[in-house]
Amino acid sequence: MISNTKKIQAKLAKRYAKEKRFRIYGLSAIAVSVAFLSLLIINISITGFPAFQQTYINIDIDIDRKLLKLDAQYSEEALFKANYRKIINQSLNTMFPSAKGRKQKKALRQLVSKSAVYQLRDFVINNPDTIGTRQSLWFLARDDVDVFMKGNINRDLPESERRLKNFQLVWIDKLLAENRLEKRFNITFFTQGDSREPEQAGIKGAMMGSLLTMLVTMLLSFPIGVSAAVYLEEFAPKNNKWVDIIEININNLAAVPSIVFGLLGLAVFIGFFGVPRSVPLIGGLVLTLMTLPTIIISSRAALKAVPPSIREAALGLGASRVQTTFHHVVPAAMPGILTGTIIGMAQALGETAPLLMIGMVAFIADVPQGITDPATVLPVQIYLWSDSPERAFTEKTSAAIMVLLGFLVVMNFLAVIMRKKFEKKW
Amino acid sequence: MINKQNGEEFDIEIDKTVGKPFIDDAKFSTRNVEVFYGDKQAIFDASIDIGKNQITAMIGPSGCGKSTLLRCLNRMNDTIQDCRISGAIKLDGEDIYQKHQDPVLLRARVGMVFQKPNPFPKSIYDNVAYGAKLHGLASNKIELDALVEKSLIRAGLFKEVKDLLHKPGTGLSGGQQQRLCIARTIAIDPEVILMDEPTSALDPIATAVIEELMISLSKKYTIVIVTHSMQQAARVSQRTAYFHMGHLVEVNKTNTVFTNPEHQLTENYITGRFG
Repeated sequence: MISNTKKIQAKLAKRYAKEKRFRIYGLSAIAVSVAFLSLLIINISITGFPAFQQTYINIDIDIDRKLLKLDAQYSEEALFKANYRKIINQSLNTMFPSAKGRKQKKALRQLVSKSAVYQLRDFVINNPDTIGTRQSLWFLARDDVDVFMKGNINRDLPESERRLKNFQLVWIDKLLAENRLEKRFNITFFTQGDSREPEQAGIKGAMMGSLLTMLVTMLLSFPIGVSAAVYLEEFAPKNNKWVDIIEININNLAAVPSIVFGLLGLAVFIGFFGVPRSVPLIGGLVLTLMTLPTIIISSRAALKAVPPSIREAALGLGASRVQTTFHHVVPAAMPGILTGTIIGMAQALGETAPLLMIGMVAFIADVPQGITDPATVLPVQIYLWSDSPERAFTEKTSAAIMVLLGFLVVMNFLAVIMRKKFEKKW
Repeated sequence: MINKQNGEEFDIEIDKTVGKPFIDDAKFSTRNVEVFYGDKQAIFDASIDIGKNQITAMIGPSGCGKSTLLRCLNRMNDTIQDCRISGAIKLDGEDIYQKHQDPVLLRARVGMVFQKPNPFPKSIYDNVAYGAKLHGLASNKIELDALVEKSLIRAGLFKEVKDLLHKPGTGLSGGQQQRLCIARTIAIDPEVILMDEPTSALDPIATAVIEELMISLSKKYTIVIVTHSMQQAARVSQRTAYFHMGHLVEVNKTNTVFTNPEHQLTENYITGRFG
């Protein structure tokens, strides 16, 4: 016995050293992942946060009845169709009389966003008594002005390498001196759809598209996935050749590259069934195909984890198999099923590739109102913006990534809450 | 045939069941029952009568087939896929394995208590009320409340849990959980209660409570109990069946089995020479 004690003692130090080494491996692995994650988040935040502010420009507008070609008695249609662009240009010319020549005048007009025309139109329609007066109004500034205001155009560069020429900088300096340039919270970003003009581009369209697509995906994949899992786990005959084949195929489907599902959706849903392309309905259908294996596999694991004694107890009381399953087994497995579903949904929310195949990559400026309106989704919007040449889209790309990550965090948070809620019952 | 006991080989014949397997007032009667799990035969030719309002104990070493036979009595083996059963099992003279027999109805008539207490992960109240709700035994909330209370009282649990009715049943102690399972079973008022080693997971005090409960319940119900404890069989049962390697070796009055066993294998087992 004594010799045994000595043998064990001799090895103890080595065993403890091994444990310590293992702890260090684990901790360093966590440290590395945390470092990369924070690097990512910090980088995206630094790039993306400026997008939540937008530069506005203040112009004194002469709402000149003559320029608008409005008589004393004018129709609503005439008010709607009047040439507001002209009075904005006129007002700019008045403010900057130094602008000479076609090129400079064009550059002058480009201080203000194209949306200023519609903004002014709406203002006049809503306040018709301002016609004939001079109003000091704030408009969206053009993206170049905005980029300059956010410090992303270096005025020390030679003029030929700058987006803004020297005469434009003079104007901007003058506007700044008169407090006519201001950065405000970028409400446009959250209330507008996509646009070719960075200052007008927003993510509401993509957000609605994502929401509608997720809704379709959720409504289809949850019931189908859970039903399939319940059948395979609780009712299908064990050791049956066909059941085995189905099982293997479901496991394989989980590993199929997502773009393949996009091609499948293109061929089957659009080509064969004639579902319109680019709409959340088709996106939801394709993402359902992609999410199903995830939901089925995790739901089956959750069902399998329910102790057989619960099934026996219910059967022993005279519950039928279906009653046993739906009264006891499925509720007990619900936290696991929900976790799997939300993981699947989070995957679907971030999916881009299959949606490119079914036309959800189109440029769509309107905010979709239903599942049959053309739409795009957040990750595709990110992809589209990251591809745009305008400097101002860089920050918008990062901002959209922040919104997408925010969505994911909210979804995971929901998953945790739902788990807690269902687990509490027990 | 060759039998292995404790590593030694005994050359003892098990031709047919000795003792008195058949009685007049039988609730259950099995005839020539053979059970197979796939290719493996678990029970050979078991014929036994189970007396009405009696406790019948099934004893024998692990893997002898006593639980298997018990689970045939309420067709719980139906859920096992390659389980095949031949022979006849009659409840009140009707073969329960006939095509037209409904296992759901059968299990409402033949309740079961399992080895490990397995309350549903629900409140105590819901545990007891579940069977009644399932079979529509109570027409309103007041009736259901009364039924739950009555069942808990009869299971000797009411005093301990009357303030915890809406707390989870899984929060009770092991013995209380098992009594909750018994209350759940008797709430649907079955004719027979099958108990598969109901006290093997409990301490001696909880065991004593359950045993007393069994004796009091046997006035109303027919009880079949599978147990590893010979003392328990001796304490609670009127008749005892001894199983050995899938064979029903001996059935007789409990007294007779323990004091004057006919078969050599039974004697070996009850005298503790193996098992």
